[in-house]
Amino acid sequence: MALIRSVFQDELDGVSQSLVDLSNMVAESIAKATKSILTSDLKLAEDVIASDDAIDDFQHDLDARIIDIIARQQPVASDLRALVTALRMSADLERMGDMSHHVAKITRLRHPNSAIPSELTHIFQDMGTAAEKIARKTGSVIGSRDTDVALEVERDDDEMDSLHRELIGSLIAPQWAHGVETAIDLTLLGRYYERYADHAVSVSRRVYFLVTGKFA
Amino acid sequence: MSNTPESENTMETAVRPSSLADVASSHNKVPGTRALGTGLETRGVHAWFGKHHALADINLDFAAGTVTALIGPSGCGKSTFIRTINRMHEFIPGAAMAGEVLLDGKDVYAPGTDVTKIRLQIGMVFQKPNPFPSMSIGENVLSGLKLAQLKVDNKDDLLEECLERAGLWNEVKDRLGAHGGSLSGGQQQRLCIARALAVRPQVLLMDEPCSALDPGSTLRIEETIRHLSDTMTIVIVTHNMQQAARVSDYTAFFLSDGGPGQMIECAPTSDIFSRPQDQRTENYVTGRFG
Repeated sequence: MALIRSVFQDELDGVSQSLVDLSNMVAESIAKATKSILTSDLKLAEDVIASDDAIDDFQHDLDARIIDIIARQQPVASDLRALVTALRMSADLERMGDMSHHVAKITRLRHPNSAIPSELTHIFQDMGTAAEKIARKTGSVIGSRDTDVALEVERDDDEMDSLHRELIGSLIAPQWAHGVETAIDLTLLGRYYERYADHAVSVSRRVYFLVTGKFA
Repeated sequence: MSNTPESENTMETAVRPSSLADVASSHNKVPGTRALGTGLETRGVHAWFGKHHALADINLDFAAGTVTALIGPSGCGKSTFIRTINRMHEFIPGAAMAGEVLLDGKDVYAPGTDVTKIRLQIGMVFQKPNPFPSMSIGENVLSGLKLAQLKVDNKDDLLEECLERAGLWNEVKDRLGAHGGSLSGGQQQRLCIARALAVRPQVLLMDEPCSALDPGSTLRIEETIRHLSDTMTIVIVTHNMQQAARVSDYTAFFLSDGGPGQMIECAPTSDIFSRPQDQRTENYVTGRFG
């Protein structure tokens, strides 16, 4: 018996591709935000701040499209899971964009100075690398729906958590010598990267649910 | 009615609980909690039209006080199946069946069974509303009693009760003497439901009862089905997937791969429409074929 409903399938594929595109946008955004904070690059920070509006608009358009598909196509079973999880994934990805935006705003706030003392730049270099890697992998999971890789993202987040703990350890150490303002900046920055990765994990878990109908 | 040897079952049945009671434990309507009898069961039901094997090895339990929707593409044997339940299948020349249909544990095909009594216990509503056009609304509702020569103490009370339960009383209470044919299609269908209720059936079979009705009438019938399920067992054949999702407690998916129709999967309706176990069910409910 031939399968039908190709128009609906094209719409579902389009939603999936948009989520991949959105994850690429937030991966690029965190990469630029990291570079801006490490090099105190104001122009790059402004780029990231402006691109957050584009990310928000992209998410709003995607959500409107998903709602329209639900209303017109009345999906059930795996189709319904795909669309409901897409709504929630888009919200997670949009929040990841917000985290990049927050990082860039600290770059702008402290420009032309650096928010990060030189002895701690390696931590943020690693956090930036981990964040971009986890975002790229999340995009790949959305496209492939590979549940094994989806669960891998959770393990990748352990690396981010470890860096976050290292950062907090430096901030609360007795020998901390950079004052309260810098400590607050770094606490917030650390939190932004850690939350960024958490949202990526959340997206990956939703892919697992989408495919299996079970929560990871 | 002759029993014909079972033919080979060529399609794999992925999930076929031997009893809906198995899957009902997590559901609101737990079989056995209502004084409705033990329900309806089919065991190894096959059906033939001449040499054409239309239905193979259907095993289903319909727990008392539940609504079960039968879904599947045209020609998969859904209507044939429900017609075996109240022995209407045997009206068709050349038709044959095998297997058992157990109502409260008793086979409706057992030798010596009074078919008329079976149809009093297992009522049926058809796709096209079929009131007696020259009878009044009241006479239509009570016609089953007359045909079966059943006596009731207060016909007026019964009339009101049946029309009330069918969701029609408020619309016709001031014109019970009007002809049944004067009602709208949706009202006629509810009149047919009221007529079926008058003989107090234990089971109500509904064969696409809303397919000829407008959306408003359809929703009224669905409301009626939900209310009726408190007091009887309902089996509904529908091509409307949303209707099956809205109205039933359990859903059974039937399919024919060119051979006889078979039951592929039966489960609580919420599972069929959210996490079906069989890919063929998934493909059907998501509209990928059918």
